[in-house]
Amino acid sequence: MLWVDKYRPKTLDQITVHQDVAQNLKKLVTEQDCPHLLFFGPSGSGKKTLVMALIRQMFGASAEKVKVENKTWKVDAGTRNVEIELTTISSTNHVELTPSDAGFQDRYIVQEIIKDMAKNRPIDSKGKRGHKVLVLNDVDKLSREAQHSLRRTMEKYSSYCRLILCCNSSSRVTEAIRSRCLNVRINGPTDDQIVKVLEFIGKKEGLQLPSGFASRIAEKSNRSLRRAILSFETCRVQQYPFVSNQAIPPMDWEEYISEIASDIMKEQSPKRLYQVRGKLYELLVNCIPPEIILKVIILSQFLLIFSVLMCDLYYLVSQRLLYELLKKLDAELKHEVCHWAAYYEHRMRLGQKSIFHIEAFVAKFMSIYKSFLISTFG
Amino acid sequence: MTKKENNLVVLSSDEEYCGGRSSSSKRRYRKTKSQSPLPRKSTRQAKKARLLGSRSCLHKDSRNVDEFNLFCEDFDQVFSTFKVSAGSGGICRNELWIDKYKPHSLEELAVHKKKVDEVKVWFEDRLRTPKDAHGNNVLVINGPSGVGKSATVHVIASHLGAKLCEWDTPTPVIWQEHLHNSSLGIQYTSKLDEFENFIGRMRKYGVIPSCFPNDSKQPIILLIDELPLTNGKAALKRLQNCLHLYVQSTQVPTAIVITDCAKVEGTDLTVQYLEELQLCLEDAGACKVAFNPITNNSIRKVISRICCQEQYSLAVEQIDAIAKSSGGDVRHAIMSLQLFCLKPSQICSSSSSALESSKENEEVPPTVVDDRFSFQFGRDESLSLFHALGKFLHNKRHTSNELVLDGEFSVKENLSRRPLNMDPPEKVLSQAHGQARPIADFLHENVLDFMNEEAVDDAWAVASYLGDADTLLSSYERMLARHNDAENILHLAAASVAVRGVLFGNSHPLSSRWHAIRGPKLWQIEGSSLSNKREMVKQRFIAYGGISLADFSVVATEYVPALKWLGSSASGDRENLPVMSDENTDFDLVNSGNGESHTSDEEIEDW
Amino acid sequence: MAPLLQSSQPWVEKYRPKQVKDVAHQDEVVRVLTNTLETSSCPHMLFYGPPGTGKTTTALAIAHELFGPELYKSRVLELNASDDRGINVVRTKIKDFAGVAVSSGQRQGGYPCPPFKIIILDEADSMTEDAQNALRRTMETHSKVTRFFFICNYISRIIEPLASRCAKFRFKPLSEEVMGKRILHISNEEGLSLDEEALSTLSSISQGDLRRAITYLQSAARLFGSSISSKDLISVSGIIPREVVDELFAACRSGNFDLANKEVNNVIAEGYPVAQMLSQIFEVVIEAHDLQDEQTAKICKKLAEADKCLVDGADEYLQLLDVVSQTMQALSSSMQL
Repeated sequence: MLWVDKYRPKTLDQITVHQDVAQNLKKLVTEQDCPHLLFFGPSGSGKKTLVMALIRQMFGASAEKVKVENKTWKVDAGTRNVEIELTTISSTNHVELTPSDAGFQDRYIVQEIIKDMAKNRPIDSKGKRGHKVLVLNDVDKLSREAQHSLRRTMEKYSSYCRLILCCNSSSRVTEAIRSRCLNVRINGPTDDQIVKVLEFIGKKEGLQLPSGFASRIAEKSNRSLRRAILSFETCRVQQYPFVSNQAIPPMDWEEYISEIASDIMKEQSPKRLYQVRGKLYELLVNCIPPEIILKVIILSQFLLIFSVLMCDLYYLVSQRLLYELLKKLDAELKHEVCHWAAYYEHRMRLGQKSIFHIEAFVAKFMSIYKSFLISTFG
Repeated sequence: MTKKENNLVVLSSDEEYCGGRSSSSKRRYRKTKSQSPLPRKSTRQAKKARLLGSRSCLHKDSRNVDEFNLFCEDFDQVFSTFKVSAGSGGICRNELWIDKYKPHSLEELAVHKKKVDEVKVWFEDRLRTPKDAHGNNVLVINGPSGVGKSATVHVIASHLGAKLCEWDTPTPVIWQEHLHNSSLGIQYTSKLDEFENFIGRMRKYGVIPSCFPNDSKQPIILLIDELPLTNGKAALKRLQNCLHLYVQSTQVPTAIVITDCAKVEGTDLTVQYLEELQLCLEDAGACKVAFNPITNNSIRKVISRICCQEQYSLAVEQIDAIAKSSGGDVRHAIMSLQLFCLKPSQICSSSSSALESSKENEEVPPTVVDDRFSFQFGRDESLSLFHALGKFLHNKRHTSNELVLDGEFSVKENLSRRPLNMDPPEKVLSQAHGQARPIADFLHENVLDFMNEEAVDDAWAVASYLGDADTLLSSYERMLARHNDAENILHLAAASVAVRGVLFGNSHPLSSRWHAIRGPKLWQIEGSSLSNKREMVKQRFIAYGGISLADFSVVATEYVPALKWLGSSASGDRENLPVMSDENTDFDLVNSGNGESHTSDEEIEDW
Repeated sequence: MAPLLQSSQPWVEKYRPKQVKDVAHQDEVVRVLTNTLETSSCPHMLFYGPPGTGKTTTALAIAHELFGPELYKSRVLELNASDDRGINVVRTKIKDFAGVAVSSGQRQGGYPCPPFKIIILDEADSMTEDAQNALRRTMETHSKVTRFFFICNYISRIIEPLASRCAKFRFKPLSEEVMGKRILHISNEEGLSLDEEALSTLSSISQGDLRRAITYLQSAARLFGSSISSKDLISVSGIIPREVVDELFAACRSGNFDLANKEVNNVIAEGYPVAQMLSQIFEVVIEAHDLQDEQTAKICKKLAEADKCLVDGADEYLQLLDVVSQTMQALSSSMQL
């Protein structure tokens, strides 16, 4: 088992990073006054861990006896019947699913599954019907219609079941749903918190951590605990005992993207663009989400602009000019690049073929960068 | 295409012939084909040859045979009436010019001399020398429609003094007809069965001389026009086997005429099947002659010859226009000519719309050769998709800026382009039956090759426009998901944006040179990305120790790479780890190096 | 886990006024409506105004006061936007309901029970125009036995023919004072202690929306127990603390792109909703007096664009970064002037 999963806290009491939230949740459960919940926060901040611990707190260890099902739902959608297949994970007391998997038919799934759950409620020892918990992932990816119908079902069946919603950004969840839930913001753990967790794992695994090593991993993880633990483990496999200046291996696709970025920096031409397209295809084939590609490209480009320019410039220009240049870079290039990145990312959401838009961004970047080079160096 | 039209004729005339005349309607179908310049006589003979074939399905009831003959008789009547109504030949000359002026001698053929010679020599060889001397006796002639494939065979046959037997693919039996037949006790025979029977007999007995009682000494040439193509792989296999056997064993010199359909417009399967058949024939040892579209020059010659004989005087421009618009199709050119030569006075009784439009045309001064003119005579001018794409990608423009803008409306220099040297892109698109989505994909795949090395800005403009087209399309597709009857105006707009974006954006096109057009790699990528995704969805239980669903993108971006890392540095203590290594090899990046230059034959099917 | 306790009932429902006269702050509306109640005749009605001002409450209260609990089910049909509400629903469901005749008006159990039915259409502005047109005919044909109550936020989205058939009532946002009273009342009932600061925070973050205020209060009470501070309320409401917004804006003013980028990263990592961030930046920009009009306009335009993009599902990080960089450019252009 991966360390991420091995050292995942199982109960609310074990949770260290968001202790305050965990304690509040525990109080809610013990007071048996648990409303619908909406967890939101960046990826790798521990939403899922909290949710799973919460369910365990509610139902005890039985919540961990889960079965995976590929269910097909037949939904009467007025004029026609729709069949939707979806993977669910369920125990006797809870069901978890990602409704956005169903694409634009997502709104049927929400209604249908909640109805279904309301029918099959477990009976507790006193012969009373208990309630079930439905965990919905990625609610921010639900269509507007689905969110509307979700809101209605939330009201209708609120006596039968509780909803736990998870999402990365609450901006995309409608006000109507947010106001019917208890909103819990889960922030990404700070570097210090990550370091603590890493040290804890290191101790458990009996590893010697050189000083500063954990904090370097934390820094690189971009405040994602999952990311930090995964790279911690890869470091362990790569080289042990640790050296404090050991290289932290990046994800293969990230490496690949920075390769693409440096390609772009080296030459700006339609031909190069074509080569870049080939590489982008490879990323897409490996299911790297296009928006992440776009984001990482600009991040690594910022880094590259600096490193490449710095090298070149030291030999070319005097110190004063360098300063001017950096200012210019700051003033023009970066703003423009991030503007176009935002622009094309938005377009990508509207469109279907992400490659068209990523490529347009790359081409735009080439064009900006080229004219920048020409204007500075002639 | 012609086949379809003929079907229509059968259908529309169905009520007229209901009541047991189904087979006569079958006959009639053959006659409607009178477009093809068959000598009348040989048609008859061919009919008899067919009779042989059909007998097997009629033998059950001899009465049927009598009936059949009966039909043959009244068929002539039917035909003559039919011809008057359908042939726009008008009142005074009730013959179509294409029949009237069908070539009778080798000289009259518009086909290129070399090709004709090739065919002639081939037949001469077969007919002169003893039968076993040649490895095979089958010649495959292929080419676009109306270039005189069958006419060549006919002319050569008569030139060599040989009898020509002909097998035509029979009309498909339509359903009502079938019902009717079966109620009469006639068994249904598929056209493929019929063909097989026919071929089988031909192989065994050759052409039975008794069919042609008058003169059995004459050498015989067999002409198979149009192979009976049916759907389905099994049928294709049968046909292939049958042909294969035939090619290897036949004693009779045989010409098989295959009409190429334009690759893109025909249903893709038919095209593929035809190609397979041709390959199979060649494998079996058949010779092959490919006919090209006829040159404008020869068409012009034919037209002026006819004009001479009909005593019409046409301006050179008009002849030119007709020749040009026919697209290398003589038959079509003659049809247009006849239509054009109708004088209003001669068609007063007729009211068909086609004629009316020609009347209209008459008012236009005949010397003006404008778009309308060529449109009128243009045969359904479908460009192949690749042709259209080529136009867009090469971005041909007039060298001089003809369109002088007056001062009121002038465009910034960097936005102005020279006028296009082609039809409006939308028109080209509609001729190529281009769908917006594949057009955009193709353009996206290929456009970078046609750009100047330095022009990154152009690349950006083009990419951005293609992105716009994609956005338009996707909103169209989303709308479609909701209301199926959504207007496809968005679709058209998207296609237009894509094409014009490419034309406009590529402001420094490379000078014209040859470039293969690749099929979009994107389709392949999407396919494999989808299957990888499915694979990965199955693996999302690797996260959270299997008790919770992981977010898909997290699995893709974090778990899988990490596991790959860990898996590659072979570690023993991880027995719980789901076995990933096997799949991993699949995940491994598709090597980019294989610069696949698919020329799109297979991919086209996808749409 | 044992069945849910009654306490989990939302306070919004629990403290919903049962009678028209209890509806807070909408004095004019209440006065007119009590009149109609007394005569037990009412026209079609259209309630509009911002959310949380008591529109639904009023409609429900009227229905209850007219029919009482027994007849309520058979006489009142509630439809809201989340129900599937295309033309078909309007045609069938409403017709079916409206088509059944009602017995003549006899007082039952102290309720007036006028001889008509009430159809309450909540969030009527989200109906399509076609559906509204279809409704128009239905209203005419069944006007003898039915009364329609339309409830919406934006009256401009109700087609004119419908609006003109109704008596229109505008509900205004609640003043802080009224809201404070209401909140205090509830917190007394629930045994919460709320200090002065928390109370004013609550009023300001709920922006005249009483339902939101009550929801926040309940959430805070659930999470943090009976004594609630203004900080608790902010954390529950999803409002971004002022310091964070100020810091981001200061980074914009500094003109240092990398600093701003760091701040943006921070905002994302903390999980603050960016849409919320945009509206709070907007407030800051409006309040900043040292900006020239053109700068304000530029920034606001960008905010609006980014908001739209977010609705379309664009990436939060990139959008916020774009906003920040454009703001930075707008701000720096002043320094050169």
